[in-house]
Amino acid sequence: MVPMRPELLKGHLDALLLAVLEAGPQHGYAIIEAIRTGTNGTLDLPTGTVYPALHRLERAGLIRSDWHTVGGRRRRDYQLTRAGWTALREHRAVWDEFSAAVTALLQVRPRPSTA
Amino acid sequence: MTDQQSTQDPIDAYLAGVAIRLHGPRRRRAAVLDELRDGLDHAVREHLARGHSADAAAAAAIDQFGAPRAVADGFAAELATAYARRTIALYLLTGPLVGIWWLLLLRPDPWRFGLIALILAIPVLPLIALAVVTGASTLATTGRLIRWLPETTADRALTATVAVASLAVVGDVVLITMLATTGAPIRPIAGFAVAASVGRITASVLVIMHVTRLRHANR
Repeated sequence: MVPMRPELLKGHLDALLLAVLEAGPQHGYAIIEAIRTGTNGTLDLPTGTVYPALHRLERAGLIRSDWHTVGGRRRRDYQLTRAGWTALREHRAVWDEFSAAVTALLQVRPRPSTA
Repeated sequence: MTDQQSTQDPIDAYLAGVAIRLHGPRRRRAAVLDELRDGLDHAVREHLARGHSADAAAAAAIDQFGAPRAVADGFAAELATAYARRTIALYLLTGPLVGIWWLLLLRPDPWRFGLIALILAIPVLPLIALAVVTGASTLATTGRLIRWLPETTADRALTATVAVASLAVVGDVVLITMLATTGAPIRPIAGFAVAASVGRITASVLVIMHVTRLRHANR
């Protein structure tokens, strides 16, 4: 597998987190695991990246969190807000356009014959 | 390693290592640690389910979460922004409680109206306006409006906090100096105004010192 450089994620982390939460409320660790398993291990994001990014999305009003007590431990579950659903749709549209454009240029083409 | 550390649960020791590197509002730091503990508990359970021993599961979970410094560094910007937002909101909310006494004390003659008369009577009003605009714009560009407005970075939010605190200090010092140099008879209302301003000056100096420490710690 070609190693994935972390800077490639820049600008797409919000979309990934919103996409994972589309399935329903989840806690931070489950979100990290969902990204890892959902990308077959290609994106194994560090804790110090995902949790602060979730806090920022909450500050922006795109997700909200609720605390529960489970087995005597406090747990924070995140879920999409109405603005989060809208942002996810917009991210998807932008990504579809962007990836189609990049794929059109990067796809392997037969080399022109020099003969 | 001390005796206390050697007997400490590895997860507790790891979280203690993160805790000493987190800087920001106390409740926010506690929430971060609660969230990390819950995540670590999940990770430990997963490793136990894969057949690891308790010690190996804890070690694997800690390894998965990364070095305490890296985790704490990841939260630095969010915690600094939370501190800036909370401090600026407090200035905006408590500002009128200080200002009302000075307004009652220095209000212009009832026969003189308008903004110019008000500024001549209370010359720090432009400073207050600047502080309010700085604070309000920082709150706007670090909150929900970042969906539409360019986001203010944590460092700029801290700079704005220092600017608001500094403007408050300058404004309060000017007002107290004005009162002291007019030679007007001391009225009870002046006591409230000076006490409120001295309280805000003290709080502002503490805010500036705290931001300096926060920046130094986050370097």
